[in-house]
Amino acid sequence: MIFWILLAVMTGVAALCVLVPLARAGKAQARADGSADEAVYREQLSAIDSELDRGLIEPEAAEAARTEIARRLLAAHDKNEQQHQTTASGGRLKAAQVFALAALPLFALGTYFALGSPEEPDQPLITRLSAPAEGQSVDVLLARVERHLSENPEDGQGWSVIAPVYLSMGQPQASARAYANAIRILGPNPEWLTDMGEALTMANQGLVTEEARKAFEQAVALQPSAAKPRFFLAIALGQDGNIEAATKAWEDLLDGADETAAWVGVARQQLAQLKGVPSHESAPNGPSQADIAASQDLSAEDRQEMIRGMVNGLAGRLASDGGSADEWSRLIRAYMVLGEKQKAEEALAAAEAAHSDKPADLSLIKDTASSLGLSGS
Amino acid sequence: MIVELGHYALVLAFALTLVQCVLPLWGALSGDDRLMAVAPPVSVMLFVLVLISFVALTVAYLNSDFSVLNVLQNSHSAKPLIYKFTGVWGNHEGSMLLWVLILVFFGALVGFFGGNLPKDLKAATLSVQAWVSAGFILFLLATSNPFERVVNPPLEGADLNPILQDIGLAIHPPLLYVGYVGFSITFSFAVAALLLGRTDAAWARWVRPWTLLAWCFLTLGIAMGSYWAYYELGWGGWWFWDPVENASFMPWIAGTALLHSAIVMEKREALKIWTVLLAIFTFSLSLLGTFLVRSGVLTSVHAFATDPARGVFILVLLCIFIGGSLSLYAWRAPMLKQGGLFAPISREGGLVLNNLFLTAACAAVFVGTLYPLALDAITGEKISVGAPFFNLTFGPLMVPLLMAIPFGPVLSWKRGDLHAASQRLYAAFGLALLFALVTFWLWGMEKVLAPMGVGLAVWVMAGAVSEIVTRVKFFEIGPKRGFARLVGLPGSAWGTVVAHFGVGVTVLGIVTASAFQEERIETMRPGDSVELSGYEVTFDGAAPRRGPNYTEEVGHFTIRKAGAYVADLDPSKRVYTARQMPTTEAGIHTTGFSQLYLSLGESRGDGAVDVRVYYKPLITLIWIGCVIMSLGAVFSMADRRLRVGAPKPAARRKAVQTAAAE
Repeated sequence: MIFWILLAVMTGVAALCVLVPLARAGKAQARADGSADEAVYREQLSAIDSELDRGLIEPEAAEAARTEIARRLLAAHDKNEQQHQTTASGGRLKAAQVFALAALPLFALGTYFALGSPEEPDQPLITRLSAPAEGQSVDVLLARVERHLSENPEDGQGWSVIAPVYLSMGQPQASARAYANAIRILGPNPEWLTDMGEALTMANQGLVTEEARKAFEQAVALQPSAAKPRFFLAIALGQDGNIEAATKAWEDLLDGADETAAWVGVARQQLAQLKGVPSHESAPNGPSQADIAASQDLSAEDRQEMIRGMVNGLAGRLASDGGSADEWSRLIRAYMVLGEKQKAEEALAAAEAAHSDKPADLSLIKDTASSLGLSGS
Repeated sequence: MIVELGHYALVLAFALTLVQCVLPLWGALSGDDRLMAVAPPVSVMLFVLVLISFVALTVAYLNSDFSVLNVLQNSHSAKPLIYKFTGVWGNHEGSMLLWVLILVFFGALVGFFGGNLPKDLKAATLSVQAWVSAGFILFLLATSNPFERVVNPPLEGADLNPILQDIGLAIHPPLLYVGYVGFSITFSFAVAALLLGRTDAAWARWVRPWTLLAWCFLTLGIAMGSYWAYYELGWGGWWFWDPVENASFMPWIAGTALLHSAIVMEKREALKIWTVLLAIFTFSLSLLGTFLVRSGVLTSVHAFATDPARGVFILVLLCIFIGGSLSLYAWRAPMLKQGGLFAPISREGGLVLNNLFLTAACAAVFVGTLYPLALDAITGEKISVGAPFFNLTFGPLMVPLLMAIPFGPVLSWKRGDLHAASQRLYAAFGLALLFALVTFWLWGMEKVLAPMGVGLAVWVMAGAVSEIVTRVKFFEIGPKRGFARLVGLPGSAWGTVVAHFGVGVTVLGIVTASAFQEERIETMRPGDSVELSGYEVTFDGAAPRRGPNYTEEVGHFTIRKAGAYVADLDPSKRVYTARQMPTTEAGIHTTGFSQLYLSLGESRGDGAVDVRVYYKPLITLIWIGCVIMSLGAVFSMADRRLRVGAPKPAARRKAVQTAAAE
């Protein structure tokens, strides 16, 4: 509202600048002053006198100059006398008033509405960064925290808040640095250590680096039961080619693990791969290291999409070519994780049909099903 | 809200200029006092409105309001405050807004202080000024609106061109623009005079202070720009005959000619037609410079905008203003009566000579600047016209002009006596000869032109001083009365002396700095030393440093003279992070009027760097001379006589008359 009032005030003052002199000058017409040029010449005359007094000019030269200026003075005087016969006309005045009162505001407002954005507020950076968080884009929030942290680099809580945001925005390096800062300031914490390790692993395309491994080890030392750091440590052992230790690590991890946890499938597959039990063909179908890393980079929806894609691929292959009991179990579990019980039951039925002649395999499938709360036929 | 208020203020200013274009001029032509009376308050209001809009843009810059496209494209939140401020005019849109602000500022000055002008001339002048303002505000609104908004602004801007992030930028463009654009008011006076048929001695008197004001600022602006280029571009040069420099230099030469021819018009009512033409030309050259810089025809530090639409728009404006005023001139000039007659050897003759040489010099610069552009446009052939061309054309034209300078003020009006005039300059001539001989004796045939240059400079300086001393007959009447007379001299006389003296000072600086400069270009390792002109420059090593929005490599040097410590110099090479652009900062040590100039070149690894070391004797005189020249303009403006002629209110005059009758 204030904006519109100020607009009106400016327009009003502008119009008055035209209207007031129009009204006033009409009354003060008697103040004729065509004599401005005469004043200049009179002054030139007196300047010659003072120069003559000071001896700066020769008397003859002064006389000649005086004659010349006097001639100009007379000419100017005559001209001014003639000029004063003109009169003001009412028509011109009317036209000028209409101009100022109507045309000026209409034109100005019209042009402004065409060019301007009156609804757009000012957005100084400071206000944008300190505005309420609701409805702000992630970029704004991120910039705000970054600015806060660059001013208060010892705010550990701030670093711990921004770290997972970086991770979800696909900046694992920055995330790892933020976690490192949080840990440095507020002391070690198993979750942060684990997440830092994960960020470092992602930053290295799924390779568990020395630095990441140390973080995981520290996390395990603080909380021996934590599954996630042990999971990554097991992967690290596998990457190192230390098959024996890796196998043991996976077995320890799977021992007593919650079967519904998302990582269990991967763990089993890793273990299987290490043991070399399921044939070579199953290996390429499990998510590779790179896939895991890639899936971490994705948003929740994208990740879901990717998993669904992999599951569908597996289902299609098993339906057409058949597969091992292990693969069937994986498919069933995957459907359960995705929350598609209907499909899981269908897969269970198909698996039992496919393995009806092999009791060992059949029992493995049934075990899986019962652990997931499904009852086969 | 502030941004949008600024936008509206600009639009309203445009609407108001349209009113100003019509009403006062109509009033002046039809003799209607009421319509004429509109001009002064509207001119002040126009200034207020454009000022509001300029302040609004400035606020947006200071607050890093990236919802304004212009701020987004030219600012950065990490920029130091001073550059957020100067960044307002460090880009095309903002600098055009400053242009318009100065246009209406001069209009407001005339509206406010022009009490001594006849009403019709004042109204018509302000109307013509409004025509120019309207053209440029329309240009802003139509092609380069600084208030364009961004709906979802990013959080960081693109930063200001780093070469412009310098304190020189803070001062140089506003000064230059006040000069450049200030000549618009003399243009408006000229066009108004042609429209009203009022070109007489009084007109020249009224125009004089405005010409002086614009000229004063243009002189300072050019000097400032030259000094800025000197320490920021890292080549040790102070004038490059760069087309953009020429674009500001041409109006200066034309303005200088105008200043002198207006004196003749004022005193003798001669050269009327010529003076009016010069007033038109001077501003036309300003407009041409603006066109060259803005259209993208020239590529340079200053060429922020390279949008063809803008170029075409300015070209159209250029054609309308220059073409229109010249047509008006062609129509009106034959109706002007010729003024007073004079002999070739006279003060008038001297001023005509001055105009002749200045115009020729201006033409030389004009050809040198535009010929390559024209050739490129017509044949596609690319040539570059550099310093040699200008040294061969501009230089020789200046020599006779400089020789003639001391004669001008000592000649008398109408019919002069060259012999008598020469007698008053014997002392100056002797002094000049003495200096030339001493220079020759010191350097011999090694530098043949230098003694002549030094002699010429001393001749101009001594000539200026001896003119005023002989004028008051200082030695004949004794020092006591002499001083009294000196003080009593009118400001314009002092202005002449001071300005001419400044010319001599600048010439001396140019001659010595170019003839006696010494330079060394070395690859230096930490610990290395270079000897130059008696100074020992030791490189102590280079180290990186972080600025607010740049990183730099700073070289530390110690300067010693005969083993004694003189100064530390830290020249540096910067890289501005946002635009990844390098700049150089020279290290300069000033002793007296001379300077030792250090500039870093490429780093060679293993701590070695290329270093350029210059010793430039008396170089600061170049800029000091310019400051003295503009001081001359200030003296002249302070002349009491420029302010007289203010019409007294009728009532008071009547009282005076009745008193006289009694």
